[in-house]
Amino acid sequence: MSRLLGVLLTVSVLASPVSSQDSLIARLRRQADSLLSAWRDAQKLAAVADSLEQVRATAGSDTIAVGGLRIIANPSPLPLREAAERAWPVIDSLYGSAVEDLPRYPFIFRAVDPDSSVRRTVLHVGVELPWDLDVRASTNVLLTTVTAPHFDPALADWLGAALRPTLRPEDERAAVFVQLVTAPSEAVRGCFLGDIARCKDVLQLGDSTGLLARWYVTPAEREALVTGSFTDYFARGATAITLQNCRQHRDDACTALLQALPPGSLPRPLGPAARLVLVREALRAGGRDAYRRLVASPNTAIEARLSSAARMDIDSLVARWRNGVVAARPKPLTLPWWAGFAAIGWTAFFGFCALRSSRWRL
Amino acid sequence: MASVRRWVLIGLTACSVLALAYLPPRGVKSSGKSVFVGQSLQATRARQYAQALAEEWRNADAVVHLLEDRQRVKRDFSRASPTMVFRGATLPPNAVRNVETVMDSVWRGLGLGETKVRVTVVIELQRPGSVDTPTPLQDRVAYLTPDTTDRTTCMVSLPAGAYWTLFILGKRDARHEGFGRFAQWLQAGLGPCAFYAAYGTPGRPVRSWLAARNWDVGLYLGSHGIAGERFSSLDLMGNPGFSGFWDAVYSLPPATVACLAGRRRGCRAAVLAGAADEGAIPIPNVILVKRRWWRVQHLLPGERYLGDVARTVGRDRFLSFWTSGQPVDTALAAALKRSVGEWTADWERGFVRPIRLGPTPPLGATVIAVAIAVLVLTVVAATASRRQVR
Repeated sequence: MSRLLGVLLTVSVLASPVSSQDSLIARLRRQADSLLSAWRDAQKLAAVADSLEQVRATAGSDTIAVGGLRIIANPSPLPLREAAERAWPVIDSLYGSAVEDLPRYPFIFRAVDPDSSVRRTVLHVGVELPWDLDVRASTNVLLTTVTAPHFDPALADWLGAALRPTLRPEDERAAVFVQLVTAPSEAVRGCFLGDIARCKDVLQLGDSTGLLARWYVTPAEREALVTGSFTDYFARGATAITLQNCRQHRDDACTALLQALPPGSLPRPLGPAARLVLVREALRAGGRDAYRRLVASPNTAIEARLSSAARMDIDSLVARWRNGVVAARPKPLTLPWWAGFAAIGWTAFFGFCALRSSRWRL
Repeated sequence: MASVRRWVLIGLTACSVLALAYLPPRGVKSSGKSVFVGQSLQATRARQYAQALAEEWRNADAVVHLLEDRQRVKRDFSRASPTMVFRGATLPPNAVRNVETVMDSVWRGLGLGETKVRVTVVIELQRPGSVDTPTPLQDRVAYLTPDTTDRTTCMVSLPAGAYWTLFILGKRDARHEGFGRFAQWLQAGLGPCAFYAAYGTPGRPVRSWLAARNWDVGLYLGSHGIAGERFSSLDLMGNPGFSGFWDAVYSLPPATVACLAGRRRGCRAAVLAGAADEGAIPIPNVILVKRRWWRVQHLLPGERYLGDVARTVGRDRFLSFWTSGQPVDTALAAALKRSVGEWTADWERGFVRPIRLGPTPPLGATVIAVAIAVLVLTVVAATASRRQVR
């Protein structure tokens, strides 16, 4: 009898942690379920509150409609209609048929006095703007805050910057020209000289393996990259000796350091503007449905997507991009013929004055 | 009287010259426009309340899942390394094998084999959100440490996010070094469970100390940086040449800043923060490491501190500290065979050159100030020495 009692007692002691854990899980599960139920109710209330807030925030506001743009703003001196008239053609030409849904996403602006120190009410809906913006600044606000049509992460990742409509695309191309002629990379120089395969490399189109060797071709470039951008990063701990070797022009050390960088940290030889110009070129070439085609298949390689958007093969598109960029060469500073003589004249005049004056005269 | 008037005139003229030089004449317009700072959008109160409830639910849900998985998951006794479980999608067998292979190599790299405390890693693959439930925990890692109900299992809930989900499912190549980076991610994800596996359950004082500071000094057992060869939480602060670095420095607790400056007392205080608290250790003990964990560290790069201590002092001495019943400062100093502050200050210098604290006047300004002071004192002394009392 006593043995039976002993066995029962042992079994109950051994089982108690398991049963207590079961009850703990059940208690925590109930707590989580109760929180979930409370969250669902709170979500419904929040949806109502947000909707009421939207109505309150837009009450007494004017609605401006230009093309597919809808702007809801309180009465103010802001030149929103003029800005919308300038912004709409630019937006329409970039996104094409993909902006059909744009009227569903109106801009909501709250124009406020920029010089007042009166405390402003908390902003729950829309964007605050100072009411002394001119047409150009207001247009830029519309262009930078427009709800862009669907844009997948893979494309955004490759692009490295937001694709936004711009009033001055020629400035972007000129900036890329400057990159082409100043980037310390043989590959970029090759692209500038018309090697389309090099252009594809530096634009990160196609094969993504061995980027280090293709972007930074010569040992001097790799050394300059390490010593110019990553000295602080590699100067401590186990990599300090390798850094010293790299500084002593040992390419294997420089290459090893660059290969040890975290993913995505290797600086691209060309900035995001170069890829933005390429996408704009593809959209321009592809017509009104180009944007739709660009975002239609997010799992496809970027070069295939660009090619499909532009309706031309990728080499032709890249060549077109390069030609556009080279044509956008910034105007060199031209001096009038007499400027050189004027400079020499002034130099001679001040030299003469200096020679004529005595040492002690003030 | 005439000389006084002359001096008054000279004084007034000097003041006028100064006023003309420094005060702009009336009617001048401001050179630039006033800077307008628009308000950032705030959620309505009702929305904020819903978000707070969602946050509570995420934490509660993570705890329940960890407990349920601990009961449910069958250990894979064929492998010494952690048992891998995937939630959110059914993986093809070769994908599972790939992940297990990487984990095996990580485990060997940490010098671990068969361990008394076994680790189970639940990888939460990203799935599309549902309108019925808040988005599940995707921005923090959760650990369930061994307790009285299960003394030999440490659970890890590791959200894979979009990038590693696609990689595990074989839909995306990891950039550059592929498996190397994936291994780094898995190793960093083991967190406190790696310590449990390597050294067993810590003694009560150490457990209480680590719980009080949310394990910020025991997040990473590996010998490399937590996010790459050299990458530690210190690198996230940026470069000392930029103002952002100093903003980050002065948002840290005073002892942490003092330690960055190489002060031993500061280092000691930073290490022993939470050691005096005799707080009860909750059961179940779930450690939630938030996405921006480096912002709440008491020591930089604290995530590898205990790992470095263990590597420096060797297994036996570290075990004597880990399982000690003595107060943390005594046990740690005994293991290090040096004072905690001294050792930690030296350790800190291995990562960052001690920052300079306090005012740092430029040399030129100091020389000018001293020269003026000497001149004034000389004039006063000369005047005083010539003064005669009649």
